[in-house]
Amino acid sequence: MKTIKKFTHIDAKTVDEAASILRAGNASVLSGGTDLLGTMRFEVLPDYPEVVVNLKSIPDLEYIKEDASMLRIGALTRLEDIAKDETVKTRYTALAEAAHRTATPHIREMGTIAGNICQLTRCWYFRLPDNRFNCVRKGGRQCYAVMGDNRYHSIFGAVKSCFAVNPSDTAPSLVALNARIKTNKRLIEAGNFWDMAVPGSTVLGADEIVTEIQVPKPAAGSRSAFIKFAIRKSIDFPIVNCAASVLNGNARICLNAVYNKPYRATAAEESIKGKTINEESADAAGAAAVESARALPGDRNKWKIQIAKTMVKRALLACS
Amino acid sequence: MSEEKKSENINKKGTGNVSRRTFLKDAGFVVGAPAIGTIAASSGQASAQDRAAETQSEDGSTVSRIHTEAATTIELTVNGDKYRFTVEPNWSLRQLIRDEIGLTSPKDWCGGLGACGSCTVIMNGRPVLSCLTLACECDGANIETAEGIAKAGHPIIQAYIDNNAFQCGYCTPGFVCTSKALLDRNNNPTEADARDALGGNLCRCATYQQHPPAVLQAARELKKT
Ligand SMILES: Cc1cc2nc3c(=O)[nH]c(=O)nc-3n(C[C@H](O)[C@H](O)[C@H](O)COP(=O)(O)OP(=O)(O)OC[C@H]3O[C@@H](n4cnc5c(N)ncnc54)[C@H](O)[C@@H]3O)c2cc1C
Ligand code: SF4
Ligand code: FES
Ligand code: FES
Repeated sequence: MKTIKKFTHIDAKTVDEAASILRAGNASVLSGGTDLLGTMRFEVLPDYPEVVVNLKSIPDLEYIKEDASMLRIGALTRLEDIAKDETVKTRYTALAEAAHRTATPHIREMGTIAGNICQLTRCWYFRLPDNRFNCVRKGGRQCYAVMGDNRYHSIFGAVKSCFAVNPSDTAPSLVALNARIKTNKRLIEAGNFWDMAVPGSTVLGADEIVTEIQVPKPAAGSRSAFIKFAIRKSIDFPIVNCAASVLNGNARICLNAVYNKPYRATAAEESIKGKTINEESADAAGAAAVESARALPGDRNKWKIQIAKTMVKRALLACS
Repeated sequence: MSEEKKSENINKKGTGNVSRRTFLKDAGFVVGAPAIGTIAASSGQASAQDRAAETQSEDGSTVSRIHTEAATTIELTVNGDKYRFTVEPNWSLRQLIRDEIGLTSPKDWCGGLGACGSCTVIMNGRPVLSCLTLACECDGANIETAEGIAKAGHPIIQAYIDNNAFQCGYCTPGFVCTSKALLDRNNNPTEADARDALGGNLCRCATYQQHPPAVLQAARELKKT
């Protein structure tokens, strides 16, 4: 096994300390490490962090609490603990199901919610060891996927010439549940959290650290669900996933792995508005969701359009 | 206990940066060699120096120790034995267990991507991937490997044998650790629970069907005791 290249490791004691280390430059924060250490071992990125700041040494960032108005999840909370939490399972079902369907049991035991929403894209050109494809997303000039094998790539076009998709399973649930992401600087609506940076996938500033996820308490009678399509039930990243939350004929629907960031299916939300959810209305909402979807030249990723349509339909039916 | 053997293991390790390693035994601890966390070529950069304190090493040369507050000496328990090691920041837990302690059950199939589960160990009750766990973050940890599970006579071992839950056996230590971690938390697992828990362990010989019955058998055995 390849030994991870050398770096300096610092156990941060506070979020402020971690942020000040980030400000000094060329440092990465580490939570569960299931994404970061893989990119480091295989030297995926053009830059290698000189310093790794461990956040797990900061006390009190691992919790799940519900009060009268919202659910608060500490940034370092492991996905497995979210998946098994009875409160999350009953009232924030889409999030519990998404956490449960993420990766493998081991990665869920190690991986945190903050790491899951901040993870880098899994585009295989991007991820090839030793930065073999220094693509647009890494600051290079070319996207290799657009002419290459793009069977898992975006069906809603490019952002800054990059056709990669956001691979997170928990992200669409957070959008569907109208969550907010708290950092050491501000509170960000989940819908505005993801934006392609080079090479990152969030709007976080260089010294910004996620500290908490806040999910408003759903009104009585609302339901939510998460559906994932992957080749294997365990281990595999989503080909397409979808989360929906429904209350009184209003739905929030979010797809992921179809676009550079979680894709809010507003056309589907309009389509289902005021309707009783059944086979027919859910099917129509699915069709509306992918109306503006386009396969890349060569149609290699065309199959994902049909899958996205079905994911929307099934997520809605699961809420009925 | 064979300190000599462990000391050999330590000396064999080719980390390159470590000039001298000694092995001592004191106060019930197996003491690892002082491998002061040296910073690679980058230590000349101002930002690294701001963050790292300069210290004198034993042979008089100046080395940068990693951040003064972040001690690189860790103490951990592996299969009930206590160890003290001075580790470098980039060592994985798998590396520590195999190359320093000499326990070879954490395997490597996917090359350290987190995708196969063959390097699974139990850390503080959770099944974790030792390839993606940094050794320096394991201070105070309680680790169990397949060797410890077998030595303790845990019924999962006999259940694996009785159910032919392996062919070549390469993936088995990882499966055994994952199964044992499940049984520690859930003394009455269903077949679905077992399948779910083992979803991160791959087997090239495709022995998948035999694992859930082995886990259920071990659960029945545990209830008898
Ligand atoms: C084999 C395999 C399969 C996987 N399958 C899936 C899957 O099916 N679905 C899925 O969603 N994911 C999957 N993943 C990704 C995995 O879920 C995520 O890697 C995990 O949730 C990341 O959490 P972590 O705590 O380990 O993150 P880390 O690796 O610690 O961090 C990931 C990134 O986030 C940054 N970061 C971490 N914490 C913070 C913070 N508090 N504030 C700001 N930035 C932060 C880090 O700097 C890093 O860039 C898979 C990973 C592997 C290795
Ligand atoms: S899709 Fe994005 S990440 Fe993938 S090769 Fe193109 S620019 Fe790079
Ligand atoms: S070696 Fe494959 S998961 Fe650790
Ligand atoms: S028994 Fe051979 S890999 Fe599992």
